[in-house]
Amino acid sequence: MSIGRVTQRMMSGHALAGLQTSLAQLATTQEQISTGRILNRPSDSPNDTAAAMQLNGALAESAQHQRNGADGLGWLGQVDTALASGGSQLLNAQDVVTRGLNGVMLGSSARNALAGELDGLRTGLLDAANTKYGGRPVFAGVTAGTAAYDQSGTFVGTAGAVNRTVGDGVRVRVDVDATSAFGPAGSSVFDHLAAAATAMRAGDATGLRTALTSIQADFTRLTDARALAGSSSNRISAAISAAGAHDLQMQTSLSTLQDTDLPRAAVDLQMRTMAYQAALGATSKALTPSLMDYLR
Amino acid sequence: MASTFGSLSTALSALTYSRAAMDVASGNIANADTDGYTRRRIEAAATGAPTTPAMWSRYDGHGDGVTVTGVTRMSDELLVARVRTEHGQQNLADVSQTGLQDLESAVNEPSSTGVSAALTSFRTAWHDVVNNPVPGSSARNVVLSRAQGLVAAIGTQSRAVAATMKTQVQKLQSTLAETNSVATGLANTNTAIAAGKLGGVDVSDLLDTRDRLTLRLSELTGATSTLRPNGEADVSIGGVPLVLGNKASTVAITAGVSASGTPDGNPVSFTVTAPSGTASALPTISAGDAGGSVNLLNVTLPAYQQGLDTVARQLADTVNAQHQLGYDAAGNAGNAMFSYDPTSPAASLTVAITDPSRIAASSVPGGGTDSANADALGAAAGVDASYRQLVAGLGTSVQTAQRASANQRVLTSQFDNAHEQLAGVNIDEETVALMQNQRSYEAAAKVMSTIDSMLDTLINRMLA
Repeated sequence: MSIGRVTQRMMSGHALAGLQTSLAQLATTQEQISTGRILNRPSDSPNDTAAAMQLNGALAESAQHQRNGADGLGWLGQVDTALASGGSQLLNAQDVVTRGLNGVMLGSSARNALAGELDGLRTGLLDAANTKYGGRPVFAGVTAGTAAYDQSGTFVGTAGAVNRTVGDGVRVRVDVDATSAFGPAGSSVFDHLAAAATAMRAGDATGLRTALTSIQADFTRLTDARALAGSSSNRISAAISAAGAHDLQMQTSLSTLQDTDLPRAAVDLQMRTMAYQAALGATSKALTPSLMDYLR
Repeated sequence: MASTFGSLSTALSALTYSRAAMDVASGNIANADTDGYTRRRIEAAATGAPTTPAMWSRYDGHGDGVTVTGVTRMSDELLVARVRTEHGQQNLADVSQTGLQDLESAVNEPSSTGVSAALTSFRTAWHDVVNNPVPGSSARNVVLSRAQGLVAAIGTQSRAVAATMKTQVQKLQSTLAETNSVATGLANTNTAIAAGKLGGVDVSDLLDTRDRLTLRLSELTGATSTLRPNGEADVSIGGVPLVLGNKASTVAITAGVSASGTPDGNPVSFTVTAPSGTASALPTISAGDAGGSVNLLNVTLPAYQQGLDTVARQLADTVNAQHQLGYDAAGNAGNAMFSYDPTSPAASLTVAITDPSRIAASSVPGGGTDSANADALGAAAGVDASYRQLVAGLGTSVQTAQRASANQRVLTSQFDNAHEQLAGVNIDEETVALMQNQRSYEAAAKVMSTIDSMLDTLINRMLA
């Protein structure tokens, strides 16, 4: 539209509209610098807002997964310690049984002493099997009680897995099934130790030999369970470090989406301030004169 | 041949014209900044031979001066009508934009305190229950308090939508009140215009008032105006007459708003009541301030509320369904975690469980420390996606409204400019007119004194 006539009102209207526009741009840049964010409301960029919300959620979830992982590592550490101590006690027990076998001619008092030693090892193994983490027995599955085995060596826990989610859909079992570590009911390591002690007291060489074989098998089972726990522990560590690396990537993306590029914003601010000042200057020059100034 | 004193009266007509022209110029200068003032231009014509020739009385003069034929109001009715339309659209876009922006700031996303953050922290709290499911563990309390926080965040947003709706109802009511009073003003102006025209008075000022009032009516309701030959304006909204000559009707809300001034869930609609008492239904108002409010009240805000209700319902239903599959610390089957009123889920959402041991973390009965159900509860993220979609949708509509308003502003200012080019006062122009007429006044005076001295020579010197 060509401008035919220009009136003073038109000039002042245009000048004010122009000033408003540059002031609004100045305010936008100023907001971006003072909040440190270019994403201050959904309409600043609807897609980026949705993406930022998703990233924020994913970051919180990832932090939670790492927390879960740390808790899982605590469990598995406890499991490992318990199984290690159980293993060494089983080695001792094998030693004691072997000594008994080699000295069947020993007197009953000496055999009783060895049997007492076996009883002690059994109690020690029971203590290891009742190891707790955070108040929960680590071999008792999902029991609400406080022990996996009672003093007679009977399993009193509730079978069930304790899992930790360490990634999206990644669940790792952080406890060890009591059966797979200590043997099935009726044929558990505790039964075998008790049988060994009985055979020792009775001087029953056949019984002792059977018990020795069983205890050796128990030792293998325990070691296998320990290796399994170790591999779970590795999986969790790997998941935690992967989550940490992923966190960094997500932080970077989030920052790209919502954080102000400060140097650029500062340059923008400078330019817009200049533009605003220029507009102010032009307005003051354009609105002042009228024909009146030149008539006498 | 002109009479002896003919030239004197020619000079007199020039004096009169110059005075009138200076009057008009000074009027223009005085109103250079008056809103709605239309510049006047004086029209002059040379007085000369009669246009009807007479057989025996021959005109033998050479022009008998000048006469003022009228004062023209520099207005183009078509352009003014277009300006009215664009102003109606502008106010519609502005009100929509402002209302949506109000809602947007209440939604408060993306932030660390909004619904999205509350959803995430509610979900992650379940993992802590997985880690520590024993009865009396603090993780169970944390889930409950995060659930309360989530309910509060959704409730706050729902209340913000309701508050925005209430504000729009109040705005609509005040818009209609102003519409009714402006309509009455216009009817009175119409009466004055008709009377003035009959009396042969210059009604330019009344026509300015008329244009100002019709423009205001368009801004308020998007009303359209038609002019009668005598200058009166008839105004109608959506085809229903609001002002007819000297009669003004009143607009009122008849549906969609309860007595307490809150929206009742029905679409807002109106009636126009004529002074005679005849009421005509006006289903909707589609432009102007009122149009913007109606659009927000009937479409935009209910749609957001509905979206939020869907999010709340989806949250409650998914969590409840999963929660009821589980067993609490004592081994009993889980109850619903959230309860809500199906007619307004977002506003009425509450946490139904108060006892932390009632949280059904276990997937097996018997009161053990199994926590597979809590794990499943922590994994359900469908609600987050629905909510993100809702917020992104709101962001898009705010952006659209902002663009619509900015585009409309370009168009509106273009027509405002075109109108101002025609109707606005340029002080320089008026100063020039003033100078010009001052000079012609001086020249006419000079003519008088010249004739006078001529006659002096003729009368006083010739007889001596």
